[in-house]
Amino acid sequence: MRRIVFPLFLGVLFLTLQTTLLRSLPVQRIRPDIVLILTLYLGLSYPLISGGILAFFMGYLMDLFSGNILGLYTFSRPLIFYIAQLFKGRFYLEGFLSQFLFVFLSALVEGLLILILLNGLNPNPLGNLYPLLFTVLLPQSFSTGLITPLLFFLLNKDSLLLSNQKRMGLRERG
Amino acid sequence: MRIRGFFLYRKYSLPAFIIIILLSALILMSLRVKQRKGVDFLDALLIEFCSPFQKVSTSVSKTIQGVFRGYLFLVHLQKENTMLKQRLAELQQENHQMKEMAIANERLQKLLQFREKISSSVIAAEVIGQDPSSWFKSVTINKGEKDGIRKGMAVISHEGVIGQILKTAPDYAIILLITDYNSAIDSIVQRTRAKAIVEGKGENRCQLKYLLRADEVIVGDIVVTSGLGGNFPKGLMVGEIRKVDKRGHGVFQNAELVPSVDLTKLEEVLVITGSSLPLQEEKGKKGKKTK
Repeated sequence: MRRIVFPLFLGVLFLTLQTTLLRSLPVQRIRPDIVLILTLYLGLSYPLISGGILAFFMGYLMDLFSGNILGLYTFSRPLIFYIAQLFKGRFYLEGFLSQFLFVFLSALVEGLLILILLNGLNPNPLGNLYPLLFTVLLPQSFSTGLITPLLFFLLNKDSLLLSNQKRMGLRERG
Repeated sequence: MRIRGFFLYRKYSLPAFIIIILLSALILMSLRVKQRKGVDFLDALLIEFCSPFQKVSTSVSKTIQGVFRGYLFLVHLQKENTMLKQRLAELQQENHQMKEMAIANERLQKLLQFREKISSSVIAAEVIGQDPSSWFKSVTINKGEKDGIRKGMAVISHEGVIGQILKTAPDYAIILLITDYNSAIDSIVQRTRAKAIVEGKGENRCQLKYLLRADEVIVGDIVVTSGLGGNFPKGLMVGEIRKVDKRGHGVFQNAELVPSVDLTKLEEVLVITGSSLPLQEEKGKKGKKTK
């Protein structure tokens, strides 16, 4: 129970920080998406079923507190989680650079996916969103990538969370 | 046979689960696209659960900011002259608190004066959280359905239009800011009375759409609400035109607008409860919300 409740609580906490403290940073464009980092971390260390549900829930929370009416994060977050699952065990993701690149690229992929979905689902063309790719998405993805090693380190340090997940992962995989 | 069945189950259950999760997200998305709303009960429940954390976090961050501004930067100098600097810090802290109070007082007074000026009934609310993503522009406030707030209600400040209520929970609500790409407000250019729709452009910018090429607009023109739609009272300031682009062909010209309210520094807002769209009307709406 704790291995589900704890990341859930962590997700709510990260979302709270993202909507309050990180939003009051002086530079508006440098706003790391720490909920995405947590989702990717779960993707690397959590089993498919429970992690997928957690990613779905975190996406739902993101949609709930954003001006996004369509529920795009509810779709993109589990998808990103499953993409992270593909990387699990296949790449060396212990170093600063690899963790940075992994999250930076994931954030870019998610941003592009959201842009495609926004354009596909909206009746009117959203041409004015394209400049945001360079002015918002790139700096945000970069800042998200930069703080990833620190957050991964802190999450790894929480041996309770990790050991439980590993144990659970083995059990689920049989 | 049973073992084979088990392995087949293991083989197909995981991909099936992935498909179920992604499919349910897509179904949820299609529901939202169709009805422009989510699972209301669950949404309200989750907002009620998460918003108190935001409230606490916002007040903590405000306190920390206050301490940093008023005291912590001076700790450094205390090493040089402890007594004097400590006294100075205390005085500065006091001064800072008084200044903060004076600023808050001024702000609230303006809000109160403005509240008295407008005829509609309004509710004052405090901003407790902002949008977690960079694509969308919204804020969370500490007033909800219990206070009479409903979806679609207009949100303003003494400086002008802020947005409209997007989601509600018993004690909290989420405002869609005018800078969000989903927002659209029926407006007029104050000087020439030219009609246009103000649409969000992200990053504290809006654009004027459907502004006729024949209408004369210049940089610096003020844009106000037209009052059409019923949510926003007529004549509320929306923003100032920053750029006019008549290049290209077609019936319309392009113009960029800077909102009159600095939406990145919102602290208090007023929700107009006097007139709102009936829910049935909202349900039937598709595409962009035009007020």
